[in-house]
Amino acid sequence: MIGDVIGQSLRQPDRLIPVEALLGNCDGSRMPDVVADRLTPAIAQRLIEVCPTAALGMEEYEGHRCLRLSYGQCIGCGQCVEFGEGAVGTAKHFTRCGVAKKQTVRVWDIDGRTEITPGAPRPEASRRQIHSLLQRALNIRQLDAGSCNGCEAEITALTNPYYDLERFGIHFVASPKHADMLLVTGPVTRNMADAVKATYDAVPAPKLVVAVGACGCSGGIFTGSHAIVGAVDAVVPVDGYVPGCPPTPAMLVTGILEVLRRRIAK
Amino acid sequence: MRENTPASFPDGERASPGTMLAIPQTREGAPARLVTMFGSLGANRELRVHYVFDVGDPDYGEIVLPADGPLGSIALQAPAAAWYERELHDQYGIEIVGHPDLRPLIFHDNWPDGVYPMVDPVDDVPWSKREYRFLQVQGEGIAEVAVGPVHAGIIEPGHFRFSVVGDTILHLELRHFYTHKGTEKLFEGRQVMNGPMLAESVSGDNCFAHAVCYCQAVENACGIDVPRRALAVRLIGLELERLVSHVSDVGGLCTDVGFGVAAAYAARLKESLLRESAQCCGARYWRGITVPGGLRFDLDSGKVAELGQGVARAYREFSEIARLILETPSIQNRFETAGILSREAAQDLAVVGPVARASGIDLDVRRDHPYGRYRDCSIEVPVTHYGDVMARARMRISEAAVSAQLIQETAKSLPDGGVLTPVAAQGDVQGFSAVESPRGELCYWMEARGGRLTRCHVKSPSFQNWPAMPFAVAGNIIADFPLINKSFNLSYSGCDR
Repeated sequence: MIGDVIGQSLRQPDRLIPVEALLGNCDGSRMPDVVADRLTPAIAQRLIEVCPTAALGMEEYEGHRCLRLSYGQCIGCGQCVEFGEGAVGTAKHFTRCGVAKKQTVRVWDIDGRTEITPGAPRPEASRRQIHSLLQRALNIRQLDAGSCNGCEAEITALTNPYYDLERFGIHFVASPKHADMLLVTGPVTRNMADAVKATYDAVPAPKLVVAVGACGCSGGIFTGSHAIVGAVDAVVPVDGYVPGCPPTPAMLVTGILEVLRRRIAK
Repeated sequence: MRENTPASFPDGERASPGTMLAIPQTREGAPARLVTMFGSLGANRELRVHYVFDVGDPDYGEIVLPADGPLGSIALQAPAAAWYERELHDQYGIEIVGHPDLRPLIFHDNWPDGVYPMVDPVDDVPWSKREYRFLQVQGEGIAEVAVGPVHAGIIEPGHFRFSVVGDTILHLELRHFYTHKGTEKLFEGRQVMNGPMLAESVSGDNCFAHAVCYCQAVENACGIDVPRRALAVRLIGLELERLVSHVSDVGGLCTDVGFGVAAAYAARLKESLLRESAQCCGARYWRGITVPGGLRFDLDSGKVAELGQGVARAYREFSEIARLILETPSIQNRFETAGILSREAAQDLAVVGPVARASGIDLDVRRDHPYGRYRDCSIEVPVTHYGDVMARARMRISEAAVSAQLIQETAKSLPDGGVLTPVAAQGDVQGFSAVESPRGELCYWMEARGGRLTRCHVKSPSFQNWPAMPFAVAGNIIADFPLINKSFNLSYSGCDR
């Protein structure tokens, strides 16, 4: 029997994805990206009408009519891609993970057909820098504040042989008392609000909190429900936001490392 | 297309207020299986209660009672109704007479008495502090162990209250609904075409089954014929979701008994299937693919064929791992006789899905109430009767084989043609639909007026199966609870909604 187990182990292919290929990767996430030179006022209006979570909106910005895309609210439903007449496509690369809330928002000048938000963060891709971010181990406690379990499924994937977070010295721990970072998913429900606060209090300082997924970042599709309190930051302070519905494992890795990078840069 | 629409019962079935529903019978004279129960508001805001039964025909049977007065509980005759009646009371404030336990179910201590979200305004519900009493098991040497809502792992929240003597569990009380998000209420007022996004977020790992079930309800309501190509793609998505779920569960069972090697293989296979999905349709979990009337966009036939080959590869490896698991003596030792759910308990609580089939109940929506492409397939439904963790593990392994086979056959011969029939949900429409999700029978009932939803009820298999868990764990040691829990693989969010 043990021979079978060893034999199977030896036959397993190596699937580990190098960190350079993970950072900024968003395959399978359905995150939208605006093609600025296809924007017209009529299309922008249509986009705002079809967006079910108000992730897309119209805004005045320094006297310009602008289209705003808040990734923290986006559930990747694909309505804007379907009805955008080519002005919205699926993002090929996505680095707004683990960033501050204002960096999850992008703005385009509709008449000028240009983006007027500053560029996205560029996650350092070299192994050496990643290593220096994580000289010591990072312990993460995942906390479900009311999610649909989509984010949990993707967080669980971080420990599989493709992503293997343990290679960076990152561990998932069972108790908040052992944790350096809370990875909070879901809108905070009324029924979970007290437990979320208690869990946050149980994490020893200094602590990092990452809001994961559209629901964690903004309430997502559940915004306005009588049974939720709001996004994660309505209940506990948040250090970084990882958009997506759900964010893919690559986006989670990008986000966790970006939160650490920003913390060290402070 | 209307085969799944509940047949309306003769007018004589309308009971007077306060009287109790007579449970319909199957042709063999046995009480019919309760499928779901829910409330709704009529055009003039009059309260109604809907009962859906499986009387053994391809069509489900629906009975609607007016609920302008107290309603007699059927929980003593049909224990499966117990949670539904508590939910009805919490949502609509309907007085249920003769219910053995009417404690609040979906709202916790923070919710004020007398506020019923489906009928009352809920813009600014005050915070309250009311008391919840757990059942107390009394006697010498009995201790209570409280677990949750925050669990030790990457798991959803819920509370378990064990009454134990030493290591042995005498009684388990569940307290769930920590992830209650008021989803059924959120459906109200949405455009019919914007329903799938919310349905996908009821239970994230079964998002495609939820989206398809919602879409079918709309299609049944509007009498829409979905193009054959879309039906075939839906079948592939549904079976792939089942395969992914079962591979993941078998791996999870290995994790819970410390068999890390097999758990890592299963995690790798699951990931390979998700990556193939992303290649094929742009989404790892098939979100945003299906809409009422068909699909949002067509999939490339070549990519679907590649997915079929990927599934064949993954399944070959999975069957190797499954053999390794089933033949390992230490696994047999932990899985066999742990967490037995008797056929009687399963039947009384109208348990569905792999859990029911592992306890000897032969039921599968795909075969018994066929929908979509399943009308053209003959589905093999494995059943076993031991009802223990091993039976549920074997059930998942056997079902994975059926799913892999179905995906390969369908991917090879995808019909040509369009993938979307436009839906115009004007006027007053009502529709019902059932889907065999990886966890079992999933139903949606929707009603719309003028293109906007006025009610959408979700019967989730997890809501149905959770009450059976305490019966399976009683008499087991507390250390086996995580294993038994995993073997049921119930969704907290799906249950809590």
